[in-house]
Amino acid sequence: MTNPGLMDRMFQRIMRALVDTGRAPHYAELARALGISTDEGRLLLHEVMQAYPIGWLHPETDYIASFPPLNNLPTQYRITVRGEQRWFAQCGFEATSVTWLFPGETVRIEAPCLDCGDPVTVEMRDGRIIWVDPAEVVGHLNYGFGPSRGKPPFL
Amino acid sequence: MNLFRSEEHARRWPAFQARAEQGFITLVDLAGFFGTETRRHMLDGDYLSAWFPRRATERRAYLEQIGKTTPFWLGTPDAV
Repeated sequence: MTNPGLMDRMFQRIMRALVDTGRAPHYAELARALGISTDEGRLLLHEVMQAYPIGWLHPETDYIASFPPLNNLPTQYRITVRGEQRWFAQCGFEATSVTWLFPGETVRIEAPCLDCGDPVTVEMRDGRIIWVDPAEVVGHLNYGFGPSRGKPPFL
Repeated sequence: MNLFRSEEHARRWPAFQARAEQGFITLVDLAGFFGTETRRHMLDGDYLSAWFPRRATERRAYLEQIGKTTPFWLGTPDAV
């Protein structure tokens, strides 16, 4: 089916739905919105995910699990905007990119530290860090990028 | 790819990999790494076809700029 224009449209539908609702749509909903059959929608979704390999479907399903920087499957990286905690980031690194999906808004990232469970909090606006608690918060890549990287669902 | 309260907290994490001692990145550098030009276009209608393909080159350039040039960060094969 490869149709770059249609793939762009599906990508945007998914990203926009995640931003607006915190949830990714099902391929049948995407198909209806794009004016294609449900099976064409399913196939197109797989093409989009192949073209955007930093995200993934839940294994052995057609369900969007991860569509970075946001995640459809809850993670420990909770995102709050306008006082609503409706979103989850794919990982701690992608969490710092969520700010670009909410221009002009304060995006709050909250997560439990994997060592002690105490909170890690970061607030960003238009890419700038405006609040960090504690001040020593650090990012950590446990498996390298590329060949040494672990399986995607287990980042 | 996680956030920790400090480097010491990360080192105490039971899943911490010895090789990942080189895996620390400051929050400021991380925000820059995940805030490069293409990331600012994720809501554009042509993101997938026009912007996403530029991401890898852009990320590599940023990593080199902040001195993270090992295979661990660049995703290149380890030297034998």
